[in-house]
Amino acid sequence: MPQLGVSVVEGTILSWLVAVGEEVAADQPLCEVDTDKIVTDIPSPATGTLSEILVPVGETVEVGTVLARVSSDQAGLRAGPVAARGDSATGVAESSTSPAPSPSMPVVRGAYYSPVVMRIAAEQGVDLASVVGTGRGGRVRKQDVLAAVAANGVDRPLHIESPYRPEEPAGQLSHMRRAIGAHMKRSLETAATCTTWMEADMSRVEAARRHASASSLVGVTALPIVARCAIEALAEHPALNATLEGDRYARHDAVHLGVAVSLGEEGLIVPVIRDAQTLSVPQLGIAIRDLARRARRQQLAPDEVKGGTFTITNPGQFGSLMATPVINQPQVAILDLEAIVKRPIVVPDDHGDDVIAIRPQTILGLSWDHRALDGAQAAQFLGALRRRLESWDAAA
Amino acid sequence: MPVMTYLEAISDALREQLRADERVLVMGEDVGAFGGAFKVTDGFVEEFGEARVMDTPLAESAIVGTAIGAAVVGMRPVCEMQFADFVSCGFDQLVNVAGKTHYRSGLAVPIVVRLPSGGGFSGGPFHSQNPEAWFMHAPGIKVLAPSTPEDAKGLLTAAIRDPNPVVYLEHKHLYRRVKGEVPAGAYETPMTARVAREGSELTVIAYGAMVHAALEATAPDQLDDASVEVLDLRSLVPLDEDAILASVAKTSKVLIVDEANETCAAGAQVAALIAERAFEQLDGPVRRVATPDVPIPFSPPLEQAVLPSADRIRDACRDLLDY
Repeated sequence: MPQLGVSVVEGTILSWLVAVGEEVAADQPLCEVDTDKIVTDIPSPATGTLSEILVPVGETVEVGTVLARVSSDQAGLRAGPVAARGDSATGVAESSTSPAPSPSMPVVRGAYYSPVVMRIAAEQGVDLASVVGTGRGGRVRKQDVLAAVAANGVDRPLHIESPYRPEEPAGQLSHMRRAIGAHMKRSLETAATCTTWMEADMSRVEAARRHASASSLVGVTALPIVARCAIEALAEHPALNATLEGDRYARHDAVHLGVAVSLGEEGLIVPVIRDAQTLSVPQLGIAIRDLARRARRQQLAPDEVKGGTFTITNPGQFGSLMATPVINQPQVAILDLEAIVKRPIVVPDDHGDDVIAIRPQTILGLSWDHRALDGAQAAQFLGALRRRLESWDAAA
Repeated sequence: MPVMTYLEAISDALREQLRADERVLVMGEDVGAFGGAFKVTDGFVEEFGEARVMDTPLAESAIVGTAIGAAVVGMRPVCEMQFADFVSCGFDQLVNVAGKTHYRSGLAVPIVVRLPSGGGFSGGPFHSQNPEAWFMHAPGIKVLAPSTPEDAKGLLTAAIRDPNPVVYLEHKHLYRRVKGEVPAGAYETPMTARVAREGSELTVIAYGAMVHAALEATAPDQLDDASVEVLDLRSLVPLDEDAILASVAKTSKVLIVDEANETCAAGAQVAALIAERAFEQLDGPVRRVATPDVPIPFSPPLEQAVLPSADRIRDACRDLLDY
């Protein structure tokens, strides 16, 4: 059962559109599902044969439950587009919809496979039973399994909701660019977007960052610290940790934190750290690094880029000072972290007199949806965030 | 670059090292006035004198033992066994004294023992053997077996300069049959394996004369254009494990060729290495072609029947390629 919306926790099967044993193409609707919000089709994640239906009509199951299995058969493999895995489960949470092949050992069906064939099959997720052997007595040889891997590499269909759908012909926008464009336009057309800025002194964050970098716990960026402070500020101002769909406004207890990851010219993607409020700064650092790395390797599952309740974007590494980020719908606010720059600012000295000091400053930007909240709440949130950043104590 | 036979390349290395390093001396049966049974040291006694090119009694134990003593006091003796087969008489000195002196007493024993080895010319059971595995089994001794003139010169130079006892197998069948370009001047060939021909579907591992048999057997036109890699070990101790494993990782199928008797031959060690360290790379059984465990017959047809031939190697390759 796919995550069909932030607040959806379960769904009911209304009908199965494909019978067991029937062939199904990638993206072809498999079944109809009713959630408390919508009735929708669930598309097949891969081409193959529907081998098993695990949830009968009328049954209600939680998000993440496996609904059915689609197996790729031998004929399909030879013909071309077939999933590399023997079975592709649909409607499962991240693990089974991930494009990464399953590391499970292939099943030997009465045949002997040599060590190298077994190893390649396991590493590449090849179902050896579907590979035609050209060795003596039809034995599957190394070159046979390599050929199967090569065929899969070219033709392996991506999940219908995969953020890495194939590129369009030259001269057209890529699937990813079109998706980003549609999403941004929809946000600007839907939300009453305003942007509020506030300056913050990052001296303590910078000191903590340098200290942590030395012990390599947080990595080298301020982002995990800003994220932690923002999560705490959201607890103080829960109106911003919310989603607004139509007239339906929902605050969320958990912070599912979206973090924008640039993929260079291809575009950007916003993986979501679920329950980020439970994570420490080092844990956030690790989570951000992991998601960013997998995002760039195209290893994110569709469900890992959905369900956010608040988003942080961090383009300051290129030196920009201010931006007006577009809200990631259906969320109601997005925090923009720009460059941290040393500036002369007026601060009180020990006697309470004004002096000019050199401090690493940044401009925190917050785009917010005027439909859901007002400028005062945005400013209060930024103030709470600034207070935490300026008093940051790594030991606390 | 001058073209030399395998034998001329060995002579060239010896002559250069005798000229370059006054610690180097040559000893053996008939190496002086007669110039050696195979004429490797032809003309040496005239150039270097009897003190450095010494004819010895027919006593291999005395040759090796004297060389060990000379080495311990700073000389660099190069001993010639007239035939590799005769080294068994010097076995105790080589295995128990030369190989263990550094371990036991901390004294280096920089000797080279040249072993004219191998069959294929109807030499019979006492003039055709390949005794390299005996010395692979004895700690403290390096074992080299070049297949080309260039490597013959470079490996002999490296052996003479090496501080350890080195057994140097020079295949008699290659002496005048193999010619090749040999760089002028002294150079050392590393004690590592050499890819004699690149390939991707099967690796044939060999050394010495069997490298040439393997190249002949696996020429592309002989095997339906199959891509066969031939790895020339060149050095048996040290054994270039990295090169062996890299080739197996590439091709996943291995044939090992020994001219020596099959049981516990050098190839057995190579096969054990692959089984132990490259199991997950294998796409077929590790196969060996070697001489069966019999004395080398004098009769030419019988000798040809037991020595690994290009035909036998080719058949084994076909079998593995089809597997």
